[in-house]
Amino acid sequence: MKENALIITNNDLVSKILNSGKYKIIFVNGTLMDVLIKVRDYIHKGHKLLTHPLMGSVKPNETPYKTVLISEKNYEYVDIQSLMYIENSIEVSQNLIRNRQPRNWPDKVLEDFKIIDFDLINNAINN
Amino acid sequence: MRLELGKIYIKDVQFGTKTEVKDGILYVNKEELLKEVSGDERLKSIDVDIVHPGEKVRIIPVKDVIEPRVKVKGNGGIFPGFISKVDTVGSGRTHVLKGAAVVTTGKIVGFQEGIIDMSGEGAKYTPFSKTHNIVFICEPVDKLPQHEHEQAVRMVGLKAAAYLGKAGKEVEPDEVKVFETKPLLEQVKEYPNLPKVVYVYMLQSQGLLHDTYVYGVDAKKIIPTFIYPTEVFDGAIISGNCVSACDKNPTYVHMNHPIIEDLYEKHGKDYNFIGCVITNENVYLADKERSSNYTAKLVEFLGADAAIISEEGFGNPDADLVMNCYKIEEKGIKTVLVTDEYAGRDGSSQSLADSTPRGNAVVTAGNANEVIVLPPMDKVIGHIEAADVIAGGFAGSLRPDGSIEAEIQVITGATSEVGFGYLSAKSY
Repeated sequence: MKENALIITNNDLVSKILNSGKYKIIFVNGTLMDVLIKVRDYIHKGHKLLTHPLMGSVKPNETPYKTVLISEKNYEYVDIQSLMYIENSIEVSQNLIRNRQPRNWPDKVLEDFKIIDFDLINNAINN
Repeated sequence: MRLELGKIYIKDVQFGTKTEVKDGILYVNKEELLKEVSGDERLKSIDVDIVHPGEKVRIIPVKDVIEPRVKVKGNGGIFPGFISKVDTVGSGRTHVLKGAAVVTTGKIVGFQEGIIDMSGEGAKYTPFSKTHNIVFICEPVDKLPQHEHEQAVRMVGLKAAAYLGKAGKEVEPDEVKVFETKPLLEQVKEYPNLPKVVYVYMLQSQGLLHDTYVYGVDAKKIIPTFIYPTEVFDGAIISGNCVSACDKNPTYVHMNHPIIEDLYEKHGKDYNFIGCVITNENVYLADKERSSNYTAKLVEFLGADAAIISEEGFGNPDADLVMNCYKIEEKGIKTVLVTDEYAGRDGSSQSLADSTPRGNAVVTAGNANEVIVLPPMDKVIGHIEAADVIAGGFAGSLRPDGSIEAEIQVITGATSEVGFGYLSAKSY
C-alpha cells in the first residue's frame, strides 16, 4: 500500500490539478533547487521520500520545475535512504547547473516543462 | 526459439512508381506510402522526404528511428500489439532492409532535442547518419494534447516501417544470421560447463515522452518478466521515449539490440546466454523496490552466474540500476553495468546520481555533457525553428550562420546506453 503523500512542488499546474483535497500540497515559490532543499528539510524532520527527486530525463538545468512526493507522516527517525537520494540529487543538480545555467525559456516551452513534470508525477500517483 | 534474420543490404532509397527492392535499391511509391500512414485525424498533414549519408542535411527534432522489417515465416507479425496482433514473435524468419531507416519528427513539446546530421562533425556521433532515412514530418491539428501527438507520430513511424518492410518479403537476403535460445532447462543442458549469463534489460517507463511498450503494454505497468532475446528482433519492444536524445533507445536500437547481438556472438563459446529479464524504471520508490526485488529473484531463479544490466535515461533510472546491481550481487551473481555519464564539460563531476560499492564493473557509453559545434547545413528537415530551443543547448546556441553549439546529448544516439554508438576510450 502506498503511503499518504505530501506534494512539494514549484509547478502551479501540479498544485492546480492535484488540489482536490486528496493530497496536501506545499507550494514552493522558487527555483528547482529551492524545491529540492525544501524536500531535504522535510526528510530531516522524519518524512520519507516517496518519488525519486530526479524523475524525468529533462535535466535540472533545463526544466525549472520540480515535483517530489514525500510521506505525509513524519517518523521519529531520519530515513537514511531518503536522505542519500535527496543529497545525491542536490549534488548532481548543482553540478549540472554549475556546468550550464538554466536559460530564459519562452512561455510555450515553460508550459511544456510543466506538463511533463505534472504527467510524470500523475503517473506515479495513479500507476 | 529460433529466428533467422535475413538481411537485405539497401545501398540507396529513391522514390519510384512501385514500392520494391531491386538490385539493392529500395524504391518507394510516395503516394502509396503516405496513404498507408494517413487516416489519423489528429494529424493535419504528413510529409515524407528521403535523405542519404553524406548529404548536408540536418533532421530535427527526431522522435523515433525504426527499421523496416517483415515476418516471412513463423508466428505473428512485426510490432506485435501495435501493427500486428499480440501473437508471440521471435521465431521463424524475418527480413530486414538493412541500411534503410524510418525517422519521425514532430514538435511535440516546445523544448527540443534529437538531431541527426547526415554529414559533418555531428554525423560522427549518430549511427543514423549512416542509414538512408525516410523522414516523416508530421503536423498535428491545433491544440492536440502532447500525449495524443506523441502517439500519433509513433504510429506513423511503425506503420511506415511495416509497410516498407513488406518490400523485402520475397527478396533473397544478402546475409542470413540465425539466433536461437532454447527453453531454459534445455538451454542450460546444452552448454553445462559454461557460465550462464542473463541480460537485465531496463526500459524507460516514467510517463509522457518517457515510455516504452512491450507487446503494446506500457512498461510502467509490468512486473519484471522473462523475454526471449529474439522476440526483440521482431519489434516486441518499441519506444515512446522522446526525451534525452543521446541515451534513449529508439525502436531501431531495440530491434538491433547490440548487447543481445553481442551476447549471441560468444554464446556457446565463452558463456551460455540464457535470456533476458525486462524491467522498468518507475518514479515511485516503492515501485523501484518491487521491480528490483523481482528482477533479482528472476535472475537467481534462472540460475544465472552473471548478469549484464543496462539502464535507459538519467537520474531516476540510476537508482533502479544501482538497486538491480546491489540485489543481484547480493545473491552471489556477478554484474556488469552499462550506462552513460553526465559528468560536466571536463568529465570530472560525479557521473551518476546513485552509486554502490557492488558496482565494480561498469561500461560507460560516454559523457553527454561534452560540447560540440555542429556546422551549418544546406537543408534542415523537420522543424527548423526547433534549433533555437534545444534543451541541451545554451542561450544563443543557434548561431546566425546556422551552426549550433550544444552538448552531445542533443544528438540522437550519441551516448547510447546499450552501446549502439561510436564513442570509445583510448589509452596512451
